Amino acid sequence: MRSLSTRRTRSLLIVFVLSGLLVLADLLSRSSLHFTELASGWLLLALCLLLTLFNLRKKLAFLPLGSAALWLQIHIYAGLFTVVVFLFHIGWRIPNGVFEGILGFLFVGVSASGVMGLFMSRTFSHRLTLRGEPVLYETIPVRQKLIQEEVEKLVLNCLAETSSTAIPEFYARKLKGFLETRRNLWLHLVQSTRPIHALKLEIRAQTRYLNEAEREYMRKIAERVQLKDTLDYQFALQSALKYWLFVHIPLTYALLTFAAVHVVLVYAFLGGMR
Amino acid sequence: MEINSALEKPDRWDVPFSKEMTDMEVELVLSVPPFNQLKPRNYSSAIPLHGIIKNDTRIIQCQEGDIIVREGDWGNTAYFVLDGSVRVEIEKVGFKLPAELLGRRETKKKSFWEVVSQWWRNHEETEYRDQAAYRARNSQLGMRGSGQETRIYLQDVPATLNQYKTVRLESGTFFGELAALGRIPRAATVFADSPTELLEIRWQGLRDLMRKDDSLQKHIDRLFRERALAAFLHNNAIFQHLDDQEMEELVQLAQFETFGKYDWAGSFKSLVTKGNTSDLTSEPLIAQEEEYPNGVYFMRSGLARLSQRHYNGHRTVGYLTPGQVYGLDEILQSWRGTSQVPLQMSLRAIGYVCMVFIPTPVLERFLLAKVHGQLPIATAQPGQVSYRGISGKDAGKRIQTDFLEFLVEKRFVNGTATMMIDMDRCTRCDDCVRACASTHDNNPRFLRQGPTHDDVMVANACMHCEDPVCMIECPTGAIHRNPVTGSVVINDLTCIGCRTCSNNCPFDAIRMTTVRDEHGQLLRDMLNQPIEKATKCDLCVDQWGGPACQRACPHDALVRIDMRDLVSLANWHNR
Repeated sequence: MRSLSTRRTRSLLIVFVLSGLLVLADLLSRSSLHFTELASGWLLLALCLLLTLFNLRKKLAFLPLGSAALWLQIHIYAGLFTVVVFLFHIGWRIPNGVFEGILGFLFVGVSASGVMGLFMSRTFSHRLTLRGEPVLYETIPVRQKLIQEEVEKLVLNCLAETSSTAIPEFYARKLKGFLETRRNLWLHLVQSTRPIHALKLEIRAQTRYLNEAEREYMRKIAERVQLKDTLDYQFALQSALKYWLFVHIPLTYALLTFAAVHVVLVYAFLGGMR
Repeated sequence: MEINSALEKPDRWDVPFSKEMTDMEVELVLSVPPFNQLKPRNYSSAIPLHGIIKNDTRIIQCQEGDIIVREGDWGNTAYFVLDGSVRVEIEKVGFKLPAELLGRRETKKKSFWEVVSQWWRNHEETEYRDQAAYRARNSQLGMRGSGQETRIYLQDVPATLNQYKTVRLESGTFFGELAALGRIPRAATVFADSPTELLEIRWQGLRDLMRKDDSLQKHIDRLFRERALAAFLHNNAIFQHLDDQEMEELVQLAQFETFGKYDWAGSFKSLVTKGNTSDLTSEPLIAQEEEYPNGVYFMRSGLARLSQRHYNGHRTVGYLTPGQVYGLDEILQSWRGTSQVPLQMSLRAIGYVCMVFIPTPVLERFLLAKVHGQLPIATAQPGQVSYRGISGKDAGKRIQTDFLEFLVEKRFVNGTATMMIDMDRCTRCDDCVRACASTHDNNPRFLRQGPTHDDVMVANACMHCEDPVCMIECPTGAIHRNPVTGSVVINDLTCIGCRTCSNNCPFDAIRMTTVRDEHGQLLRDMLNQPIEKATKCDLCVDQWGGPACQRACPHDALVRIDMRDLVSLANWHNR
């Protein structure tokens, strides 16, 4: 089994060589006063279609079309090469005009969302492993509900046992909202622990005013608050891993539609530049 | 204070093999040779002869054509023909009883069109089943009885006898004893060729009968040496240089030994419940580290743990699977050197282990004196960790000890296609689950969840075990090993939903599901009870390109690993 780093090095080398060949072809064409935009445009369109095929491969899992891992490798490095081709195609300048501007924006959007998706795929998986036990995305709401019920039970038991309203009031004021809804999702994405740290400080501050029995209840509640925060963390990262495709794929289809119109317009206004 | 909660200690025969075995039937069995030659006084009062026959045997009646055992089945019982006769199918190239006639699933890949049409033909309803296929099965395949007593029968025995080569076993003959005692697959298919009365004996009963009776012991021992041991040693590369006469002598001198609990799955489940799977004392010691080897063990079936003393505990350094050898390196080193080399590792039985033991003097005579110079020693230096049989001798060292401990403790080393997920690469996209569903009529056959060690999760999917306890006792042979791919598959058409396999599986990898028609309505039997079927991963045996789960993982996170191949495991884990 080839190591992942060897594979990465080899693939980058291929992209580098192909990019070098592209530079060479561009220089040769320009020195012979040929227009390269048509060739680079068709190459760009072909690459975009190739990249789109990956999504189709994922849908046709039952067909023996090679492993999805191989397809993803092709998708990643062909995508990288496509960016190079795109830069050559636009002549290393910012597109002008509304239509070309939108087309350029769509390409950048697809590329950026792709890079973002790759970054998340490679980093979030590891982060998810480090924090909390593996949890299925679909079971998170149920687990969250269970934690909330456990905390409510602890609060009611505390009230019955100690007749003190300190913990029930603290629960109503600070914890109920936290346990009922998913919190701090954006902050979890950037690894911020500030909100849970602040909540823990409030719990600690409240603990000063509790008797021994209440403190034991509060300790158990604090454990569950930590669990809920971990669930929010898992939810935030798993949601990001699932939903970034809802940006990447619609942008891709919009890009292909605009590209098709672009081809028609190019040939309509090509005139004698063939 | 009086303790009211004290429970009576369970006895061996609390649950007899058959509650219907009467004293009169026991007397009848004991009047038939060779049972009438057994001497009750040889048996202890705790396990009397009468008790063994009453509790560990049962009488079954077979009709003409009833299939009693199938080639490749796993079973824990032996049979004795009391009355009538049975036929044993003898292998003849190209002429074997077809799988569908035995109630097994046809091993046919889907056509290209069938593969493609899954795109739109998969059903929306969960666990849809074609009722017409069940009806067709009933007309084509003979099935009688119910529950555990269900039997598949050959509908045209004379035609079968004409077409396939068989030998007749008359009354007074044992069969199935080697598979039952050795925990290996049945070697041949046996069916009744006339109304036949059989005595079915649990392996524990057979073992106890043998222990106290020399003639029975000799009979089984002779059969084992003739049929199994000779073939086992013949196939071993180490003994390829021996001529026929030497091999015959070696077969007579080799010993067959078993270790561990036959019913390891049950005890493992109870250990899991108690959270005590890391307790090595539950694993019988076969050979102790630092003792001098008195022979070589050849693994025949089962799994064994290799460990080394580490402070006050034992550190797992590897495991042995069938075909591997223990103790040879130390003997070779001693033979070549000037001093005795002790065993470098302890060997313990994980579950039930069958081994062939060859004592050192026998080994010296047949192996060392002839070809010792040609045999490489896996251990370069005395004291280094290595073990023969696992290619790439340093593979064990490349896997972290705690990971190895985890795999052995949880018995995942039993898998030939264990599903492992690298959680550092898994994006939880569930493409694997969707791919599995798309190749199984929209019904996923595994759960992307399971025990995790560090960054590796062993998902809840059938591992297609080396020692498939799920296959033991299936009354219709619906769960069986695919003869071509080796994967364990279920024939949905002949599964009677008895739950035997799902209860036996120590990994909870088999799920019982109620099946439905095209309108989503439950299918019901004649008693208006919902029909249940056992379902599990079949490694996409009928699809092209191998397991869809592995092919569908875009991040190289999921892999199906044969745990016998420690090198692949080490490479994957250290990639």
